[in-house]
Amino acid sequence: MMDEFNDSEIAKLLRLKRYEQPPAGYFENFLHEFHRRQRDELLRQPIWRICFERTRDFVSSFSLSTLTSYPAAVTAVLVCAAIISLRIYQTPQPPTVAVKDRPVMVVPASTEPEWTLASPVATRVFNTRSLRNITESAQTHRSGTPRYVLDSVPVSYETTFKF
Amino acid sequence: MDEARKDEDQQLVARAKEGDAGAFDELVVKYTPRLYGLVYNMTSNHEDTNDLLQDVFAKAYKAIRGFRGKSSFYTWIHSIAVNMTLNFLKKRGRRFSLSLDDVDASIQNDKEFIEATASSSPVREADLSELQKRLNEAMMKLSDEHRAVVTMFHIQGMPHAEISKILNVSEGTVRSRLFYANRQLQNYLDEFRKNPVS
Repeated sequence: MMDEFNDSEIAKLLRLKRYEQPPAGYFENFLHEFHRRQRDELLRQPIWRICFERTRDFVSSFSLSTLTSYPAAVTAVLVCAAIISLRIYQTPQPPTVAVKDRPVMVVPASTEPEWTLASPVATRVFNTRSLRNITESAQTHRSGTPRYVLDSVPVSYETTFKF
Repeated sequence: MDEARKDEDQQLVARAKEGDAGAFDELVVKYTPRLYGLVYNMTSNHEDTNDLLQDVFAKAYKAIRGFRGKSSFYTWIHSIAVNMTLNFLKKRGRRFSLSLDDVDASIQNDKEFIEATASSSPVREADLSELQKRLNEAMMKLSDEHRAVVTMFHIQGMPHAEISKILNVSEGTVRSRLFYANRQLQNYLDEFRKNPVS
């Protein structure tokens, strides 16, 4: 008869413990209980935490090691980024042009000028088109204020008649 | 570990990572009985075991997307279960309820149980249910880490290498913990045999 428990006897006794089981039906209900707890926990959590956790899970799915396992893709992305950044920084600036004077528009003093002998009918400029500015007159062969204008084009620089 | 089971786990994990809740359910159903035995023999309380198992699978569900597959799912889920149980036991302190005293009576009709106790040994001489009770008490006298090793090796039948992966310690540490735990259990049961009424 053995007077002491040896390792083998203890091992046998301990192995019997694997037959200890939970109440009947426990494993069948475990999954339902798991789903119920998951739903309850989800309802307890604020929206921002759910969003945060999902974002964190999403980001954590992309580790550096995962990215480096696709060297061609990473290289392509880096090259594209470099090209785009170069194009952005090397976009030509529009040339700066010095402007001497702003064109002065000739605007009639009033829409209905006075009918005097000093300003004959021939000098009236009809507003059928946009007014020409004074620089356009410089394109003609004569300088000075045209006296006769037909269809917005000066036709005569002769002085007006005076009686 | 069985390669077929490993492959099946890999497929289920891959589906679960893609958001297939049904695949994760299959993993839950598959591993619940085994993990129950592990946690139950560490806590010796059914209610605590149930709560811990629910938490273990909830944690696994949240972390499954980050599971890289460096270890098998088997090792991974067992690591979660053992670590969560050890943390729980640290918080609980030495308080425990020996629900293991209420050992399933059907065990004593089990073939392996009868064979194990039929040979000439101190087991046959002692009252079996009393011996089981004493063994459970002896188990609970072990430190949490030693009890974890004993549970995984003797009760769950895991090899040393698997236990070392789960606990993230060397195989030498596993062997030494096992040796020390066996000595403690042996001393406690010998004492009971010499003084059965104590």
